[in-house]
Amino acid sequence: MSVFSNTETMYEVLGELFNALLRDPTAKEKFLESDIIIKFDIHDPAGQIWISNEDGGKVICGSTQLKPTIEMTLSGDSCHKFWLQELTMPVALAKGLIKAKGPMPKVIKLLPLLKPAYVAYPEIAKKHGLI
Amino acid sequence: MLYTELNLELTDEHQHLKEQVHRFSMEVLRPASLELDKLSAEEVVKKGSIYWDCMAKMYQNGYHTVLISDEYGGLGLDPLAVHIFWEELAYGSVGFAVSLGCSCFAAFYATMLADDRLIEKFVIPFVNCKDASVMSCWGITEPEHGSDNLAPRSSFFKDASLTQQVKAHKKNGEWVISGQKSAWISNGPVASNCALFLNLDPSKGLSGGGICLIDLHQDGITRGKPLEKMGQRELPQGEIFFDNVVCPEEYMIVDPESYEAMTELTLGHANATMGAYFTGLAQAAYDMTLQYCTERIQGGKRLCDHQWVQKKLFDMFVKVETARAFSRAAMIYNMNTTPPDVKYSIASKVYCTEAAFQVTSDAIQLFGGYGLSKEFPIEKLFRDARAGMIEDGSNDTLSMTAGNIIIKEKLGDE
Repeated sequence: MSVFSNTETMYEVLGELFNALLRDPTAKEKFLESDIIIKFDIHDPAGQIWISNEDGGKVICGSTQLKPTIEMTLSGDSCHKFWLQELTMPVALAKGLIKAKGPMPKVIKLLPLLKPAYVAYPEIAKKHGLI
Repeated sequence: MLYTELNLELTDEHQHLKEQVHRFSMEVLRPASLELDKLSAEEVVKKGSIYWDCMAKMYQNGYHTVLISDEYGGLGLDPLAVHIFWEELAYGSVGFAVSLGCSCFAAFYATMLADDRLIEKFVIPFVNCKDASVMSCWGITEPEHGSDNLAPRSSFFKDASLTQQVKAHKKNGEWVISGQKSAWISNGPVASNCALFLNLDPSKGLSGGGICLIDLHQDGITRGKPLEKMGQRELPQGEIFFDNVVCPEEYMIVDPESYEAMTELTLGHANATMGAYFTGLAQAAYDMTLQYCTERIQGGKRLCDHQWVQKKLFDMFVKVETARAFSRAAMIYNMNTTPPDVKYSIASKVYCTEAAFQVTSDAIQLFGGYGLSKEFPIEKLFRDARAGMIEDGSNDTLSMTAGNIIIKEKLGDE
């Protein structure tokens, strides 16, 4: 049984997380500077979440016609564990739990931007009864 | 004159990087590597030697940070630029290229984890270093384990009777490390820190490994004499001994759960880089030979006027061009794909090192007696190329590892 009972719940939880990330002034500034579009291609439950640099930075839940700079393929459970910091990026990438397409330097550059999300996620997950 | 660039989409930045690194490599690294080739291994690593001058110049240019994100002050080059950089650096000296490549091991791992303590300890001092005093090494090879350490997912990896000789156990919340790394540790005699591959759980054999980042200037660490070897003599290599060395828990970055996968990931990047290095070496040998053949008179005419010589030069040209095309493709694919498809990196390493060996061997044949003499640097390039078929995994063992991957992919878990 996956942590997210269905796609809508996942969009609600992770959408809230990424919107919180884009509200962080430092993370937002660095994300816009990096000029990238990230696509999370998620399975179990199936869905897509995009973080785009368009319109000053926005989160899109569902399919779009955008062309991603970095595409991360992972399960809903891996997503949940990653943001809870129960799964580190190198271990996840190495074990194939997260597969990344896109220039590795850009993937590595993204990692420090994620700190506010690590801080925010436990509260968000708790609020939605996921932990 | 640089080779004809077949990639019509190369940017001005790529072209500038290629010319700049090529110039540096020929003006600084080539002459220094020829001088260092005449010295003993001890003289090479001695403070004040031209090895240190050259490394410092590369650090001052920021070359040590090509794989470090600009987020941390590194150059953070894109995958094609990384290939161009390593190829041109190795054009002048493959030994210096390997030394510089190993220098960033600990910092590169630390950026993958983005942990503040690791960044503070291993990345910031490395990026800010201008005199090469902050330098890493890849501590993997051991007296009883060479290329077998680079065969994750092979059946013997889980054999409990085979374990790494450097082992760590937990004591009072910290890791305590003992054992020996072999004389083949690149940068071993000169590094200030190490990405150390070691055993954490002997019951799992080699797959019970871990990786820690460790400061080499601490109690319990000693080094052997720098290794005297046939080729790449400008690259310092030597043993490292660990006697109850304490390592903080947070510096143990990989445990047995992901050891095989991280070893494979490391191999994927290291072997792809080897492909770039040895393309550069092969190009250098080809260029040197082409020039010689336009000057040397034999049988009443220039060597290049003999039809067989023209054919031989063409064969060398094809090997260099295919090495570049393949190693670029493998590196670009695997720097855009995580986890990397390691069989392509292995194929690139094996193909390019063998191409470099064949090209340098053909070069010696065309140089004739002078090819065997110290009067021309081609004999050094031949010795350097020979080493490439063993370092970073022997080509035979790597080929078996990649063959095993191909069959597993075809048959699945059958």
